[in-house]
Amino acid sequence: MADRNDTRASTDLQQLVLAPAHGWENQRRREFMYGLWPALIVLVVVTLLPTIYLFVTSLTPLNPTLPGSETDFSDPLQNYVALIQDGRVQESVWIQVQLSFWTVGFQLLAGLAVAVLLNSRSRFLEAVRTMFLIPMVLPPIVVAIIWKVLYTPDISPFHLFLNAIGHPMGAMITSPDYALWSIIIADVWEWFPFTMLMLLAALQMLPEEPLEAALIDGAGAWQKFMYVVLPLLRPAILVAGLFRLIDSMKAFPLIYILTQGGPGSVTNVTNWYSFMQAFNFSYLGFASAITVVMVLATFLLAWLIIRTVGMEVDVE
Amino acid sequence: MSDQMSKDPSGKRIVTRRAFLGAVTALGAAAIAAGCQTPAAAPTTAPKPAATTAPAATQAPKPAATTAPAPSAAAAATQAPTQAGAAKKLAGVSLNGALFQHPYSDQIKALTPEFEALTGAKVNIDVNVFANYNQKMDLELSTKGSAYDFANITFIYTSKWIGAGWFTDLEPYIADPNKTPKEWNADDFAPAAMQALRGKDGHRFAMPHECGGQLMAAARGDLVEKAGLQMPKTFDEMIKVFDAVQDKDGVKAFVEDNLHHWESIGYIQGYGGSILKNPPDNLTPVLDTPEVAQGAGFYANLLKKYCPDGVLSYTDTQAMEAQLQGRANFRTQSLAWLSPIADPAKSKCATTVKYAVFPSGPKGAFPQINSHGAGIPIGSKNKDAAWEWIKWAYSPEMIKRLSIELKYSTICRLSVVNTPEYKKMMTLNGQDVASLYANLLGQKPAYMAYRTVVPFPQIGAAINKAVSAIATGQATPEAAMKTANQEAAADIKKAGFKIDI
Amino acid sequence: MSSSAVAKQSSKARRRAWTRPLGYAAVILLIIVVMFPFLWLLIMSFKPDELIAAWPPVLFFQPTLEHYAALFGGQYQRSFTNSTIVGVTTTVLSLLFGVPASYTLSRSRIRGQGPIALWILATRMAPPIAFTIPFFLVYQRLDWLDTLHGLVIVYLTFNLSLVIWMMRTFFDSIPRVLEEAALIDGASVWGTFLRVILPLSAPGLAATAIFTFLFSWNDFFYALILTRTKSMTAPVAVVNFMTYEGWEWGNIAAGGTMVMLPVVIFSLLVRNYLVRGLTAGAVKG
Repeated sequence: MADRNDTRASTDLQQLVLAPAHGWENQRRREFMYGLWPALIVLVVVTLLPTIYLFVTSLTPLNPTLPGSETDFSDPLQNYVALIQDGRVQESVWIQVQLSFWTVGFQLLAGLAVAVLLNSRSRFLEAVRTMFLIPMVLPPIVVAIIWKVLYTPDISPFHLFLNAIGHPMGAMITSPDYALWSIIIADVWEWFPFTMLMLLAALQMLPEEPLEAALIDGAGAWQKFMYVVLPLLRPAILVAGLFRLIDSMKAFPLIYILTQGGPGSVTNVTNWYSFMQAFNFSYLGFASAITVVMVLATFLLAWLIIRTVGMEVDVE
Repeated sequence: MSDQMSKDPSGKRIVTRRAFLGAVTALGAAAIAAGCQTPAAAPTTAPKPAATTAPAATQAPKPAATTAPAPSAAAAATQAPTQAGAAKKLAGVSLNGALFQHPYSDQIKALTPEFEALTGAKVNIDVNVFANYNQKMDLELSTKGSAYDFANITFIYTSKWIGAGWFTDLEPYIADPNKTPKEWNADDFAPAAMQALRGKDGHRFAMPHECGGQLMAAARGDLVEKAGLQMPKTFDEMIKVFDAVQDKDGVKAFVEDNLHHWESIGYIQGYGGSILKNPPDNLTPVLDTPEVAQGAGFYANLLKKYCPDGVLSYTDTQAMEAQLQGRANFRTQSLAWLSPIADPAKSKCATTVKYAVFPSGPKGAFPQINSHGAGIPIGSKNKDAAWEWIKWAYSPEMIKRLSIELKYSTICRLSVVNTPEYKKMMTLNGQDVASLYANLLGQKPAYMAYRTVVPFPQIGAAINKAVSAIATGQATPEAAMKTANQEAAADIKKAGFKIDI
Repeated sequence: MSSSAVAKQSSKARRRAWTRPLGYAAVILLIIVVMFPFLWLLIMSFKPDELIAAWPPVLFFQPTLEHYAALFGGQYQRSFTNSTIVGVTTTVLSLLFGVPASYTLSRSRIRGQGPIALWILATRMAPPIAFTIPFFLVYQRLDWLDTLHGLVIVYLTFNLSLVIWMMRTFFDSIPRVLEEAALIDGASVWGTFLRVILPLSAPGLAATAIFTFLFSWNDFFYALILTRTKSMTAPVAVVNFMTYEGWEWGNIAAGGTMVMLPVVIFSLLVRNYLVRGLTAGAVKG
């Protein structure tokens, strides 16, 4: 791949300055490549090689308690077979689907609602917009701690309030009915600013003409929003949704701090299951297989993003 | 020692307690070598700039005598020769230890500055709650890393950690008279406690600080009496008593921590259920029997019906707090977590607590018995120094001091258990708990063999999940235990064992 | 924002004058709801222990610094030093490797850009456990677990691609005409880059640097698996508080506040680039 790049690369600059000597062109190209090579090498070392290693590991029964398991390729597909047979993997995927569906859905709704509310030029709203960003910029672990406080009956202001008015409520994070929702609520709080920010930018980019046309037609505010604004926002909604979808598969700190996958397996998403298998029960080979599948899914979604919206979306 | 000086935000130099203790180390060691009884540096002493304290102390060698907890004279005397030698050896050595949160860990951690003062070593101890500790330590040990020089071996991991060669064989240390004086008496530890801490060859890999056998304690025994009942002896009586005392005085009848695979087994076995077919030879899980479902269902029902809200996520400490605060009444757990209820300094229920043996089911009583100890991870780079700490923390003098002075109950040194002082101390709220404990120490129950197999942590996780699924009504006992059995079987196979399924 | 957009906004504002107070009220209410969890933790960190579980909540109290004082000295303080060292080092390295690569990608058209782009985006988005398992196994061999350099290298997995992609959007927005003159005069590519382009992209460079620092500061998962004691970072240390200090909520709140404050301040500095940073430059916003 490298050689091909080298020989066929041509710079825009060359086209601009016209009629360069051949040697000069080559030299320029080489110079540019000096800048790219170190980074590519580092990227290969820190991302490509580990991914290959992960795949190789997934073909072994690697387990630190079993000597020699690291190089045991006698049954390379055993982890993948076990994975298909393991009801917990399927269950965890289903839980992930629910978690992703509700978090992304609510984040888009809340993000859109707040974006519409804030979409007007005023110094007050500009200042306020910054405050809305805070949940998103907090370290994820602090977000988890904040919600641990809010979900712990002994000290949570919500629970104390409910107790005071005589309607005590059970702890959400230990209830099978609400544990997943407790994660969803915290995740929506943390990330709706992201969708808000993207949709707000898109709203401010909207072309004038269709909106004016709608006004002339006498469309009501709601109709205008539904039939004119929303379709125009579609690409931005799609991009924001896809990004949140990918990130929703990584909601680790919330689950680590709030529920540890429980109660039972109510919040045992695939990422958590893989973590437990690898680093609590020493099934590194098996966990690698789960992770390989997860990486493939991520790759697919990333490809989808690039295909749908191109490499770069300009929502400015 | 300059690295022990830390800067506070204003940039002013402050001296930490550790720095202070480090500074008096040389003094302490010298004094001991001279054979005089130097009071150990008192943790309560206000930190002073080391530079000014040290010379002053040399001239007046009793700086903190009045505030220091009386140090054991015997300890100083018997350990003087070894410690004096060790003092030179350990100066500048930095030890890292890891313990799981437990009444013992809290106390020994608080006393460790004395070890630092005696030997010159710098000791950092990380303490984590049990589940968290197991997770972290399993990961660390699997790398054979050198992060920790001494660490707890916890019961369910004994086979895995010792069997995989992740801990250091202690026999050479015990046998070498230069490393361990005869008076230290390694054979003094109760056989019941030592059993799980030995490798297949019978070698010892850790020294125990707890022989945990399940007993029963009612923080509010008075409520039972008020209802005209006695402490329950059987599962049926438990339900009768719990129904009678539930929510009386706003107290829940029962409380447990979230380690269901420890708490529930006594009930499962009480109904005649087993976990594995024939451990350690045949690890086929047998959790899908009606007896197991009955026992798990019984226990889950206790959690569901009689416990404070959120009990399913309670840690050991949180469950103990519930009893100390009088928010919950009964708990069936190891004595270490139950004896603090009788301590008026910590507990609101010191005068109402009642103790009893673990209740019987239709098939008999199966109190779970375990032991936890401390050993040296194989990757440690300071094994000799780590042994010095273990020797200090588990010496006859220290164990005696922990139990008699600091009211730590579940000690394993028979020479201390058999003293009148221990008996007196373990007379809790007028009841003879010492003999209940001594009785447990004498047992080596075969029914515990399921627990010390290599893949138990995974089996335990499956049981945990099942019990919590039953307690929250997500599944019937039968369905939940059947799933648990499938999961356990898959995991046992994945760990490289041949089973019948 | 274009001038026509401004005109649109102002005309809309006139038409909707009567709805404005209503909208403001809704916004203020929302702000309170959204900010509440964050503020609760912040306030809790200054509350004396006995007021933490008090109801009704005591709004006016003598704030105490005891929880913060309890954090100084010992491991927690060291974890902050670790986080800072790792954050700064990984930022410098990512910029050093990433910025020239980014410039090359911006200025010269290379075949295979598509797959490279996909690869970089995918690594940015892959679940951390995908890299954690192999790094864990390799570090175990190299004895690099619980080392700061080990952590720095792992953080390159996401930060290097972040720098490459984010800086590219900045370079793309600088007109090429600027380099032309210098290049025609025979100046070298990288000499021109240093003299002409880099100074122009300083704001972008600063924003990117802040992002790389924040991402490494915020990381919890890698540090949880790959560090133990001496290289523990602040997010892991604060969680340790939750497990061994007997649920001392005041200290936990203080620890959490200390982890988040630098982040909040830095993030708000780069708020205009947030979308770009969080989508690894795939989206300009």
